[in-house]
Amino acid sequence: MSSAILIRNLAKKYGTVVAVEDLSLDVPKGSMFGFLGPNGSGKSTTIGCLTGLLDPSAGEMEILGERFTAESADLKRRMGVMPETLGLFEPLYAHEFLAFVGRMFGLDETTTRTRVTELLAALELADSRKTLAEYSTGMRKRVAFAAAVIHSPEVLFLDEPFESIDPAGVALMKQWLRRFTEQGRTVFITSHVLETVERLCTAVAIITRPGKLVWQGDITVLAGDGSIQYDGQEFRALEPLFLHLTGQHYADLNWL
Amino acid sequence: MNLQLLGNLIRLRYRLIWAKTRSRNGKIALFMAGYLLLVVVIGLLAAGGLGAGMIAVRAGKATQVAAGVLFGVFFCATIGTVILGFGMNAIFAETEMRRYPLRARERELARHIVAMLDPYWYLVVGLELGLLIGLYLYGAGFFWLGVVAVLLLYVCNYVAARVVSTIVERLVARRGGATLLMVAIMALSLGPSFLMPYLQQRPHVAGPYLDWGKWTPPYGAALAMTHPDLSAVRGLALIVLWTVALGAAMVALERRPARVRMASSGKLQWGSRYERAGAFLGPQNAILIGQWLRFFSRNNRFRMMYPLSLPLVGFMIYAFTRQPGMRLGSKGEFASAMGAFAIVGFVGTGQFAVNQFGYVGNGLRRYLLLPVDPAAALRSCSYTFALLDAVLIAVGLVVWPFLSRGPLDPLMLLLLAGCSLTGMFLYLAVGLWASLLAARRGNYYSSFGNDLSFAGNVILIGAMLSLVFLPRLAASRWPDVFWSGYWWVTLTAAALAAAIYWMSLQGAAARFRARRERLVGIMEGRS
Repeated sequence: MSSAILIRNLAKKYGTVVAVEDLSLDVPKGSMFGFLGPNGSGKSTTIGCLTGLLDPSAGEMEILGERFTAESADLKRRMGVMPETLGLFEPLYAHEFLAFVGRMFGLDETTTRTRVTELLAALELADSRKTLAEYSTGMRKRVAFAAAVIHSPEVLFLDEPFESIDPAGVALMKQWLRRFTEQGRTVFITSHVLETVERLCTAVAIITRPGKLVWQGDITVLAGDGSIQYDGQEFRALEPLFLHLTGQHYADLNWL
Repeated sequence: MNLQLLGNLIRLRYRLIWAKTRSRNGKIALFMAGYLLLVVVIGLLAAGGLGAGMIAVRAGKATQVAAGVLFGVFFCATIGTVILGFGMNAIFAETEMRRYPLRARERELARHIVAMLDPYWYLVVGLELGLLIGLYLYGAGFFWLGVVAVLLLYVCNYVAARVVSTIVERLVARRGGATLLMVAIMALSLGPSFLMPYLQQRPHVAGPYLDWGKWTPPYGAALAMTHPDLSAVRGLALIVLWTVALGAAMVALERRPARVRMASSGKLQWGSRYERAGAFLGPQNAILIGQWLRFFSRNNRFRMMYPLSLPLVGFMIYAFTRQPGMRLGSKGEFASAMGAFAIVGFVGTGQFAVNQFGYVGNGLRRYLLLPVDPAAALRSCSYTFALLDAVLIAVGLVVWPFLSRGPLDPLMLLLLAGCSLTGMFLYLAVGLWASLLAARRGNYYSSFGNDLSFAGNVILIGAMLSLVFLPRLAASRWPDVFWSGYWWVTLTAAALAAAIYWMSLQGAAARFRARRERLVGIMEGRS
């Protein structure tokens, strides 16, 4: 299967601080790929590099078979991104924001209006009397998700997409994402909710600080009561594997 | 009252001020602010205080002179607070305070005490104490009574400023409020100029109104400073009464929730007038410019400043051409007009143009995810300001013939247009660099407050002051230069300025790409 995302020896440094170190990844087309790691391990930095927000210090990235840089406007048109900080214009109404994003991604006015209306209705955001600043965190996340998918991208980057969203919203998003990959498109997700990743993703990469890949592989076996062998141990769920790879730390706070 | 927690909050406030000095710009700002504060206090001690004391002793009008000075300080402190946002700190807003173990009344009190201890108010108190010392040294003042009066006046001034800024903020947030405010400011600023000649001719009409001044807090403070008898008690009581009344108004206003402006219907409105306006600068820019126009059109600060800028400049022309000692005839007026038209070129968008991304927050990240050159956000924002400035310039040129008193010559309009375009292009060029190199995160929802970096303030205030005074100085020195025969000079200057703007756009775009990570960090509050 050809690669949707190919990263070779990616590194990102902030002065002397290393955020990502020599990271190489291969994300197959049509996969639902989970990108996991503890806080501060470099997940968002990697997504930042992959979406043109950050310039890598070293390494190369290919998306959909083409070399990717911050200036790759044509490639960006084929990508959808939901950043962790959402990137919303707060004084706008949801439909104005989505229409702006849709138009910038090349949709014509009629298609934009149709898609915005449908997205708002499906995500239960149809109350147009509130600006984005007045929305709850979960509603804002839904808007950011809608902005990422409005132009039907071929590759979707979602940074912590499910946090703060209610169960119904998460279920809807999961359903859309599954349909997305069934059509041969690729989803790249970071999340701390390992149960969700385990049920949703087909493959996973786990990194530790500072942005070092420690494991990458297929996790579909876990869904069928199978197990993953690593380091001479057998793991029947993603969580113990994750904790084994990233290290478990227990602090003994007697007062707590 | 949890005094320990209150003390901690005040310490935190100052720690936050100090934290700003971690950046190089912050260090320069701190140095300049400290330096200016010192110079201004010393200057006012000498000029205001000692001068007032001297005049008081010689003329036997200590109370009137002190009242005049105190009224000026009181008024300027209030205006400085309302327009520039000094002395009103939003760090400890009600919602922020709720995380601390304080009761409702304690939160209210703590919020105001922290705001009153803003360094800005030290300057105000310093000025008033300077006056008191001046009066005391020349034998016309009574020190301890004066100190009490100054402290009471300081509290009263803070409460008054809080009331006025709350009213203005609520007004601006309402539909049509910005227009109403504009009319009020125009009436306040132009009214005295029109009324004074009328009142001077009819003292019997003016007399009772002028006596109203004797019922103001500054007059009360002046009484207490200069009279060691019952008049001082009356003066202090007057300040206390005002403080109580204004305090009640402040409490009532703060307890009345601000009305949030909402769309009138639940239906989606697909208005594309912003995109149509943006299309004036090419279809490739229409959507981005339309987005910027929509974004700024909802900003209270912008909605207040943009329509206000033209009458403000009109007032400047009017006021400066009538100042005693600056009358240079029609050429002087025209020189003032040239400076004023250069200001028209940027004043409406000036505070935004030197900090383009200051209010977008994490929206800046969105611009970088769009399938366009990353620098398109920078360019389109600058084009948006050019578009908005061009509208003001056009209106100014239409209005000018009606304001001008001298002989009219169509070439004058060309000259003035050249001045405006030069001002606009140069300011936008400098603004691009300031937006990149001295960016600062601002509060989109605040109607007031100074969100600019030190460099931004220097550029904005420096450009305005120099364009107010330099043409007048030039006109007094080379009066023959200011006539319509030199119309080509300003148009050449405008063409040169446009070239500088174009080069700045190219250079700043490259710099933006390299600096975008840092800018995102600043706008998202991470650096």
